[in-house]
Amino acid sequence: MNSLPKNIIVYADDDPDDLDLVKEAFSKYSQNVELVTFDDGGSILAYLSSFENTPCLIILDINMPILDGKEVLVRLRKIDQYESTPVVLFSTSCLPTDKIFAGQYNAGVVAKPLAMQQMETITDLFIDHCTEDIRKRIRR
Amino acid sequence: MMLFEFQLLSLDEKLDILYREGVYVGKYKEEGLWTILYQLDYFYIEVIYRQYRRYIKRIYCFTSTSLLDPYLEGIQIELLVS
Repeated sequence: MNSLPKNIIVYADDDPDDLDLVKEAFSKYSQNVELVTFDDGGSILAYLSSFENTPCLIILDINMPILDGKEVLVRLRKIDQYESTPVVLFSTSCLPTDKIFAGQYNAGVVAKPLAMQQMETITDLFIDHCTEDIRKRIRR
Repeated sequence: MMLFEFQLLSLDEKLDILYREGVYVGKYKEEGLWTILYQLDYFYIEVIYRQYRRYIKRIYCFTSTSLLDPYLEGIQIELLVS
């Protein structure tokens, strides 16, 4: 029996296809991970601003209308609670400018997969951004 | 890279270079197939999926901008000019 609380990962993406893709990718860790999803940057920021615990990972699509992933990242880093929380920008392209931006805010960048082979490794790429303790708890 | 050089690559090599260097332009769904468009240097690559971002049906390369119309509908102009 699994008595430890689940590790919470929050993810915002305005593309329903990509939301489904990531939900499916994390389904193999469903015993240890609770994936909370949002379809825009404003909603995830409102949720995190009133969230008492801290998620083990925040995944942000870069291209979202109104409040994009980069702006959410900037605002999160100004909140003490999220100063060092692992954040990954989930991008449709591997642009050097995105990597530089992410680095400035202590975040990672993962490109959206192009095929099944990359799809299989995407959860590992996300989880690798978590702390060592969390990585062990997710993969146990 | 030139279009003909890309066409000579294996599928895995094409996907690898698209993943690393391709610039996402847009996507659309038609008759159950997803098509995602990338730009690489001076040409475009359509990746046509039987299952979104998983199973590829085929890859099509072109240079003509006249084939970009299906993607323009998905661009929200008001967000670009605001």
